[in-house]
Amino acid sequence: MASKKVLLAEDDLDDQILFRDFLQHRTDITLMSIVENGVELFETLEEIPSPEELPDNIIHYQNMPKRNGRQTIELLKESNRYAQIPVVVYSTYADQKLIDNCCKIGACTVVSKPISKEGYDKMIDGFLQIIG
Amino acid sequence: MLNNNSKYKTKEELEAELEELRLQLEEANETIEAIRTGQIDALVVQGEKGHQLYTLKGADQTYRVFIEKMTEGAVTLNRKGLILYCNSQFATMVNLPLSKVIGLPFDTFITAENQVQYKDLFEKCWKHDCKGEVLLVAGKGQTPVQLSLTTLELEEGVSLSIILTDLTSQKATQKQLRQNNQQLEEINQALESSNNDLQQFASVASHDLQEPLRKIQIFSNLMKEKQDELSPESSKYLEKIIDSSGRMKVLILDILNYSRLSASKREVECTDLNELINELRDDFELIIQEKNAEIHIGELPCLDVNRGQMRQVFQNIISNALKFSVPGKSPIIRITSKIISDKCFNSKQDKNGLFCLISVQDNGIGFDEKYLNNIFALFERLNGKDKFEGTGIGMAIAKKIVDKHKGLITAASKVGQGAKFKIILPIMQSQP
Repeated sequence: MASKKVLLAEDDLDDQILFRDFLQHRTDITLMSIVENGVELFETLEEIPSPEELPDNIIHYQNMPKRNGRQTIELLKESNRYAQIPVVVYSTYADQKLIDNCCKIGACTVVSKPISKEGYDKMIDGFLQIIG
Repeated sequence: MLNNNSKYKTKEELEAELEELRLQLEEANETIEAIRTGQIDALVVQGEKGHQLYTLKGADQTYRVFIEKMTEGAVTLNRKGLILYCNSQFATMVNLPLSKVIGLPFDTFITAENQVQYKDLFEKCWKHDCKGEVLLVAGKGQTPVQLSLTTLELEEGVSLSIILTDLTSQKATQKQLRQNNQQLEEINQALESSNNDLQQFASVASHDLQEPLRKIQIFSNLMKEKQDELSPESSKYLEKIIDSSGRMKVLILDILNYSRLSASKREVECTDLNELINELRDDFELIIQEKNAEIHIGELPCLDVNRGQMRQVFQNIISNALKFSVPGKSPIIRITSKIISDKCFNSKQDKNGLFCLISVQDNGIGFDEKYLNNIFALFERLNGKDKFEGTGIGMAIAKKIVDKHKGLITAASKVGQGAKFKIILPIMQSQP
């Protein structure tokens, strides 16, 4: 199976490093790049010329400056070019309200940020299962 | 009687005449007083045609006494608004002797600013009875009164009767009421803003506290992976950091849960408690096996409750019953229910009653009943953290949920003899 291209939107430096380090050993996903916020996410996507090279999955941190996870999902889903890309939200605290709100506007799932290496692996396993 | 024939009178004669007149006046005054107070109904007067009998119009003794004794002022006016009669209460109200009031225009006693209003009433009242509030001039002061105007058919023609009710104390009560209402409103506002602060705090707790906490957890977990680089002592400290941060996480989630209870809109549905508690039994399966526990569930009713919240109530009670077991003794939990007539713990059983009493009895370590109130208070723990883990919020959440369902919760226990939690819930929740 081809490695899935993943784009991460995450502004926390620690979490950027953890994500990169913990998932380095995996061959089933490739971290395309990490963006700092929702605005930067769109800039990065615009620079990709061919639709085939767009990410297979966008992992978006909910609590972001400039544009939070929900606002970004709404914009992605409005765009013809990006509407098909599965978006998952991860948050420090995922309560039912956040889950409901994000899923209503088109997020695949909402999860709590893991607190261990195993947690990260489990989270990615779950994402891969959803995006197929 | 008087001797008018003599032209000249001696001083003695004049003095006698004066005395005679004085006696007559006194007699007349007595008669007037007697009429006023209802002691007589008719008068015999010696006139030109001999003795004549005069009865009083409406000579109804009861009414005259009534008018004189009542606490309202009463006046009778003629067409021009002059006072023909008044009771002594009215004279007291306007702070004048009775004799000076008779014959005065009634509007003398109405304040300048109420004159127009009074004139209006005075015009209308000849067609139909009416009422109005005015300020009465009472000596140097003013008294708020209600005027009730009614026309009276008398032999001499139509006259007007006005009953005056003193509104001073009523006005004072109204003012007090307004002040109380205003105070209540202020308190409400303060409460609302403090509730908002609490919500704010909950939201801060949810994110801003959890972010650094998660970092502590994740980096201490990472360090644990490099345990072989740590001294045994450091390793022990690290374990404590991981434990404490785990507890803090649970605490934050519990606080959030608790604070959200006040904000959440309550949606109730008919819920089968048998089903709900069977679900919980499945959830507790691991610990039930581990402790070799038994849970006996009697026949439970369907109640109008918020399913998720009621689940938390029984989850907390059952988890406590499993947790606070006597070491070396298998926990036995019995859950029973009965329908009762009243919302009180000693109410009679009544299969047509509107309330349900649910009891959860365990055979655990129990508690001293003097700590009963502490059990349901936030952050209260009866047992040391070393022996039993927990945040001390569980039973506070249970109580708050039961309160929100307009129910009651209590517990009975003796140290070492198990505890019995009792909950009363209305079978139906009437929606506001």
